[in-house]
Amino acid sequence: MSGAWTIYRRELSGLFLSPLAWVLLCNALAFNGFFFVLSVQGLGGDVLQSMSFLLGGSYTFWMLVVLLPPLLTMRMFSEEARTGVLEFLLTAPVTDFAVVLGKLLAATTLMAVLWSSAFVYGLALAALGAPPDWAPLVSGVCGATLVSALFCAVGLAVSAMSNTPLLAAFFATIANAAILSLPFLDALLALPPGSPLRVALGHANVITQFQASFVVGALDTKHVLFFLVWTGFFSFVATRVLEARRWW
Amino acid sequence: MITVRDLTRRFGPHTAIEGLSFHLEPGEVVGFLGPNGAGKSTTMRILSGYLPATSGSAEVAGFDVLRSSLEVRKRIGYLPESVPLYAEHRVEEMLDFQGRLHGLSRSERRTRIPRVLERAGIADRSRAIIGGLSRGQRQRVGIAVALLPDPQVLILDEPTSGLDPLQRLEMRKLLVELGREHTVLLSSHILPEIEAVCPRVIILSKGRIAADGTKDDLVRSLGGGARLRLEAVVGPDVAAAVRLLKALPGVGDVRERGRLGIHHVFEIPCAQDLREDVGALANAKRWAIRELSWQRPSLEQLFARIALDLPGEPESAEPAPSAAPAASASVQLEVSAQLATKPPPQVRPLSPFESAPAPAPTSTPTSTPAKIVYNLNPFDMGASRDLSKPKPIDGPGAPPKEGT
Repeated sequence: MSGAWTIYRRELSGLFLSPLAWVLLCNALAFNGFFFVLSVQGLGGDVLQSMSFLLGGSYTFWMLVVLLPPLLTMRMFSEEARTGVLEFLLTAPVTDFAVVLGKLLAATTLMAVLWSSAFVYGLALAALGAPPDWAPLVSGVCGATLVSALFCAVGLAVSAMSNTPLLAAFFATIANAAILSLPFLDALLALPPGSPLRVALGHANVITQFQASFVVGALDTKHVLFFLVWTGFFSFVATRVLEARRWW
Repeated sequence: MITVRDLTRRFGPHTAIEGLSFHLEPGEVVGFLGPNGAGKSTTMRILSGYLPATSGSAEVAGFDVLRSSLEVRKRIGYLPESVPLYAEHRVEEMLDFQGRLHGLSRSERRTRIPRVLERAGIADRSRAIIGGLSRGQRQRVGIAVALLPDPQVLILDEPTSGLDPLQRLEMRKLLVELGREHTVLLSSHILPEIEAVCPRVIILSKGRIAADGTKDDLVRSLGGGARLRLEAVVGPDVAAAVRLLKALPGVGDVRERGRLGIHHVFEIPCAQDLREDVGALANAKRWAIRELSWQRPSLEQLFARIALDLPGEPESAEPAPSAAPAASASVQLEVSAQLATKPPPQVRPLSPFESAPAPAPTSTPTSTPAKIVYNLNPFDMGASRDLSKPKPIDGPGAPPKEGT
């Protein structure tokens, strides 16, 4: 695991040394801020509602969650495969899973930095005399980070499959959107109520899983586990793809 | 230290290497030689644990590269051909990263990093950002990275490619030095490098081992074909000169290669260096020598022959020295008697026309204007003819124009 930690440190500094991360952060923050102001105005000054919009209550949040992680992870394997650094990493005395884990944590950390900007809004509101509800804020940031980890893992798995970063980002975005829209299959297939597939799809609904706990300020282990398990699954897929690369 | 048995790797229908087997003792320095696509990099990648083999096995330091990959990776320093480095980091950060990956403690890293940078000759650029380094400097950083964990085995894939001649020379020196402490397997398609650094060479061709051994072994077993070249003024009786030469011990066959101006050219296939004997004979017979050289096929020629899949040269079949005709024994005695009784003067003014042969043109110059060619090869026929005039195409036997 010390290997994963080493790679995490390297990846994080690599992310912050590249202009891409700063451009993404800057744009996302500007977008978030703009949207927050709009929603505060549109809701007639309902600060609590606006805060929940910012962290999972609105489609703009899900758009960012679907779009940003692929852009962060797209280069992590595909670019390295092209420059040959992957050969260095895969011949270093660390397991493939440690490599994936380190990269996943680094991308997730950057997303966490982005979401924790919500605290700035909270502090600004508190300074203006309208203190927000801190518990949903904290749980919202934690939840947003967990969701981001899931989509980062998807992005890594796709990045490991491709040698072209842009292609990796494109397909990862599609995969993320597909995961988010899994529950719509239910209506599309017109499944009878109570059918096992329908139940399964209901359980696979990322948005409701998220909104049932993190948005309302309740940390339910069931939902935490849901995101952790799926993140773990896609990390496993990424590791396997990385391993399979050696055979190509 | 490295044991490879029957290693095969296929990429789909393409077979990169097939049935490779070799063994490296600890402390050996071995060069992988082969044209592009011969399977050098693939073999090295398998040894480093990057690629799995399709079949066969490879062991490094007693660990199987597939089953105990991590143990192997701890013990090797691998420098891929592409010299992978993080362009956005500083040199020392890259080394620090490598040190952490190999689990070196902070104090170890602090002492070792300056040392390997010094060793690789890049200490003055330790704060530089890797993306801004030149190819040669990156190569050095790559070497430093590979050296940092003090691996038992160094696997270097074309460590000198992309370097300028001076850097190449320095790299060669470094490689020789490294060979004293590590088992080194390096690849190159540049022969002088391998010749200078590696006592043992493995030549790969089309995924198979074409030759394996020390340079001298290879030259001896594959090439043969060493020969002595004599250009001298031997007088009109060339046949007698050939007889005399044939009588020398160790000489089986003497080929007369025609005349260059007043000089006759002889080629004598011989395994040993007979220049002393031939020189003494020439001195005794007062032949004016222009060239006396012993040429062995270089590794380069051998390599080209193997890589291009050419058969060995016909000359490489060495006639046994005992094949010298018995009738020449008396001549031999005569020569040695001359050598013993009349030590010829060491330096003797060369007067080329002293024994200038009566013009005995081997081919009569035709009256029809010969087709003219300009020969740019300075070693071919150059000095013996009037350089201001073009050379007739009639061939090497053509007598000098001024003589006729």
